[in-house]
Amino acid sequence: MVTAGIAAPGKPDMTEQGTSQTTPAQFNDSGSALIDPDLDFIRTLSQQSGESYRKCFQCGTCSATCPISPDKDPFPRKEMAWAVWGLKDRLLQDPDVWLCHHCNDCSVSCPRSGGPGDVLAAVRRASVIHYAAPRFLARWVNQPRFVPLLLGLPALLLGLAVWLREPIGNALGFAVPTGDSIVYAYSYMYPHWLLNSFFGIFTLLALTAAIIGLVRFIRVIKAPKVWGATGPPDRSFVGSAWTAIKQIFTHDKFTSCTAEHSRPLSHLCVFIGFIALSVVTFWVITGPINPLLKDGFIYPFSFWSPWKLLANVGGAAVFFGCVLMIRQRLRNRDNAGLSTYFDWALVWTLFAVVVSGFATEALHYLRMVPHRHVVYFIHLIFVFALLIYLPYSKFAHILYRTAAMIYAEYYGRNGSGSSVATSRVGGTDDELHVQSPTSGGALP
Amino acid sequence: MEDKIGVFVCTGYGIAEALDVDALCKVATEEFSVPFCKAVESCEGPGLAAINEDINNEGLNKALIAGISPRRYPDDAFPDGVIVEPVAIREHVVWSLPGSEEDTQMAAQDYLRMYLTKLQKTKPLEPFQPDEEIDKSLLVVGGGIAGLTAAVEAANAGYDVRLVERTDKLGGWLAKQHKSIPTKPPYRELEDTGIDALIAEVDGHPRIQLYTSATTSQIIGAPGLFDVTLKSTGNGKPEGEVIDEFRIGAIVQATGWTPDDPRDNLPYGGLDDVIRNVDLEEMVKNQGRITRPSDGKEVKNIAFIQCGGCKDKEHHSYCSSICCLTSLKQALYLREQDKDSKAYIFYEFMRTPGKYESFYRRTQEDEGVFPTRGEVTDVQRGDDGVLNVTVRDTMLGKQIQVNVDLVVLAAGMIPNSADGEAIRALEDAKITLVEGDSETKKKDAAETVEKLIQHEGTEILNLGYRQGPDLPTLEYGFPDSHFICFPYESRRTGIYPTGAARQPMDGLGSREDATGAALKAIQCVEMTSRGEAVHPRAGDRSYPDFFMQRCTKCKRCTEECPFGVLNEDKEGTPLLRATRCRRCGVCMGACPERIVSFKDYSVDIVGSMIKAVDVPDEFEEKPRILVIACENDAFPAFDLLGQRRLEGNPWVRVVPVRCLGSVNFVWITDAMSAGYDGVILMGCKYGDDYQCHFVKGSELASVREKNVREKLEQMAMDTERVELHQLQIDEYYKLPGIFEKFTELIDEIGMNPFKGM
Repeated sequence: MVTAGIAAPGKPDMTEQGTSQTTPAQFNDSGSALIDPDLDFIRTLSQQSGESYRKCFQCGTCSATCPISPDKDPFPRKEMAWAVWGLKDRLLQDPDVWLCHHCNDCSVSCPRSGGPGDVLAAVRRASVIHYAAPRFLARWVNQPRFVPLLLGLPALLLGLAVWLREPIGNALGFAVPTGDSIVYAYSYMYPHWLLNSFFGIFTLLALTAAIIGLVRFIRVIKAPKVWGATGPPDRSFVGSAWTAIKQIFTHDKFTSCTAEHSRPLSHLCVFIGFIALSVVTFWVITGPINPLLKDGFIYPFSFWSPWKLLANVGGAAVFFGCVLMIRQRLRNRDNAGLSTYFDWALVWTLFAVVVSGFATEALHYLRMVPHRHVVYFIHLIFVFALLIYLPYSKFAHILYRTAAMIYAEYYGRNGSGSSVATSRVGGTDDELHVQSPTSGGALP
Repeated sequence: MEDKIGVFVCTGYGIAEALDVDALCKVATEEFSVPFCKAVESCEGPGLAAINEDINNEGLNKALIAGISPRRYPDDAFPDGVIVEPVAIREHVVWSLPGSEEDTQMAAQDYLRMYLTKLQKTKPLEPFQPDEEIDKSLLVVGGGIAGLTAAVEAANAGYDVRLVERTDKLGGWLAKQHKSIPTKPPYRELEDTGIDALIAEVDGHPRIQLYTSATTSQIIGAPGLFDVTLKSTGNGKPEGEVIDEFRIGAIVQATGWTPDDPRDNLPYGGLDDVIRNVDLEEMVKNQGRITRPSDGKEVKNIAFIQCGGCKDKEHHSYCSSICCLTSLKQALYLREQDKDSKAYIFYEFMRTPGKYESFYRRTQEDEGVFPTRGEVTDVQRGDDGVLNVTVRDTMLGKQIQVNVDLVVLAAGMIPNSADGEAIRALEDAKITLVEGDSETKKKDAAETVEKLIQHEGTEILNLGYRQGPDLPTLEYGFPDSHFICFPYESRRTGIYPTGAARQPMDGLGSREDATGAALKAIQCVEMTSRGEAVHPRAGDRSYPDFFMQRCTKCKRCTEECPFGVLNEDKEGTPLLRATRCRRCGVCMGACPERIVSFKDYSVDIVGSMIKAVDVPDEFEEKPRILVIACENDAFPAFDLLGQRRLEGNPWVRVVPVRCLGSVNFVWITDAMSAGYDGVILMGCKYGDDYQCHFVKGSELASVREKNVREKLEQMAMDTERVELHQLQIDEYYKLPGIFEKFTELIDEIGMNPFKGM
């Protein structure tokens, strides 16, 4: 038996890849499931979630304290039980792990210091790797020893492209501006066509990978039985998506947390700042061909250009958010939860992007050549690392969490904080059943 | 020697403000012609020293101190050879009744009368000394961890020990274990059992005489005077042959336990690969590997089923306390054998008491150990020999299945004990079956025989006691111990059950327990040699005296004695074995001929105390209520009543008794004749969770109370005038309510018609 088999009795052989037709909700059915713990998965989770989460004795305090866990089959109690048993397939197919925002209220309350929040984070990491295409790249991205390769390869490629920009430009028929034409521009060193094509190619690849991962994930979570339903709900999918996206923009799930107050703020800063930077970047990329531009595209923008202002404010927001995140993760470890490489890679990459971006800007205003070119090059490499490795890094949560939240809204699976759940307060005994650790330990 | 009585009345503590001390002294000097009565400021510290000085200077041999409660004095408060009666007028009168009132004064004077009467009738104590010398050596029955520990501890304390082991090897179950659960911080790693070192210590100890393959075929006598006969169990010498005979002073029963076998009660119990924890332990100990019994294949995965996998509450309904730890330990054996193995532990409750929780956590940290709550409903053997285990109500789902190579049942501990009382009852019934004088009796006897036949031949100690050859047992067959206060005390003085025979426990617990038992045994021989009682009247030098000329051989005392003190000859004459006695006086309460007495406690003394009270005639409308209170709980509750300044009742007069079981009902009829309007008996809680210090004294009193009611009916009295209450010491706050209700009752039914007659 290869892995955490969750097969019907008599059919113990399951392949990996989560191709099993069983889904988390099915485990709550009265049917009998043959269980075979996956020790390797337990080892992985142990390694990624710090101390031993296996000290869990299934008391359910985590679910009781979670501000956003739904009343029915609440997380993270059941996930903890599955994690203790190494039930890899169940966990990888469980959308609930993505509903968790890792506010860490559960870990702070856990009487066994089992860190349920960290366990769910470790499961999300495993999920990102599991759904990624190609999977080996996801494994690389999540191991520090591959950093030189992962940064070195784009640096080499971009460096070659910049070095050979003239022959390439000539061959492709693109003009390569000379250094004399615009004294303070970058374009003679990094022509627009070169950057656009270089990043365009890789972005397409990354986008494809992201779509494959997302489709794999959605295939699993769109099934009604995952949500304990028998068929599709009579809600509008678009409406649900809109509600979920509103939730994401307002961070209203995030703010119900009590253990780690700065987390929603830091995340909101990074979130809004990143959107601002994305919008400006998109504007710049499409600048030369944008019909909306009346006076022609001038790059770099002047300092007082609205675009430049937006970029600076966005960058500052990301910078502030990153600093706050790093500070909290270093200083307030107990409340912030465990910070693994999975977390640090994203935070530091983001930080490196904004710092190198602002440094480039500053050097530009200081007219420092060639320093600004060098720093800009570094900036571009970190941008590459942030965006192109998105489907493989923690950044992929923008894909999976968004999808999970939309489907959760669609199937009406909401925590006590939301309007849907309010109407369910004092629900049936069956729903409350799970909340009680003494109720026979069984899920309804 | 002529009595020289002195009375001291304390004036401190607010006593002088509330009472007329001169009038109190007059009671002593005028009514009782006591030549010496002195008001003292205090009866504690320097005050007490001054009193003792007066006692010595005046040459008093009896003294009464009206002041603080007797419980407030230290053990050695008074000079040797002087009988001192402290009277708690502070707590029972001044602190619980309104000051400077006639009724309060009357209460204080009555208490003085009662205790002066007692003092006059009390004779000096002469500690019991048998004709033969008290033997201080100990017998330890059982050579497991508890027995070995008890032997070593006692021997190291300087007492000769004879250790008897039924099998040919020492060490018991611990010697059959591969490893032991952690016994020291941080409670994470398995340890060597350490039993070999202990065996070696016992083996070479100059004070320990060792008998293996031996069992006790007879123990007659009493503490300090037990005569033991050992016979062979068949190894080396012919079975049944007498090995040795000797005298010892006290016994530690460390007979251990037998593993339960739940397999017969389980549908899957017949499968070859379903074994018990003890079987697995033996397998690892002997062959070092865990293999499948059916085909010898190395085991990869095991399912441990806790609570013996047995939900049958009739079969084995108590927690053995070590099974969870044993399964966790054995799970680690498996994990050590194969790093990819899986050990599932299915439990209803995971019980890892105290610091063992750390071991549980450590086991949980192991990636291949899966403890989870759930009920195993079935085990099926597949074609490939794999066992498919079905588990209900788990956190992973309503029903799950796991495939394993071996199922291990966590079998519980059954104490190696014998129910002495049942064995005796069986014997009696067998005799009645043959000699019974009516068909009904024979029929009843036949039923008894059928019910108790399982006890036949289960004797372990073979005591020569009228009440049976072994200790009485409690629920589940554990030897009775007075668990409320003192865990080692059994109902047979000088015999101390310990280890898993007494209560399920692990090796470490057994070591501690056996050390305690050894200490209790030593305490017993030492106190017995001084003629003193052991727990709970530890140090009491009185003992019961039977005036045999008047004995009618009714056998009530021999049957009712909670401690089996009295043997019988063929005619039923009680034979006192005084060193077994706990001095509770239940025999005194039982005897219809009132032939049992202590020098300081007798039917006459207490009866006279009751009658010493000055009962006003009915026209004064001052009723009198007699409270006969157990001095272990109810009587001290009156102290607390005063200490908390709760309202007492001026009509009440309290007489302490050693145990409610020692109440002779003649006191009640005496009280009625003396004009009391009612009697309240206050004793400890009885029943399964009894609080009675003498096990069944208060229960006996409740039975006898019914007879008292009959007697009252004969006297044409209202039977409501006698009440029995069960009162714990901390229920003192209930006293005012009890009195209020009772006085209301007296108001309703009227005063005692015998008053003044």
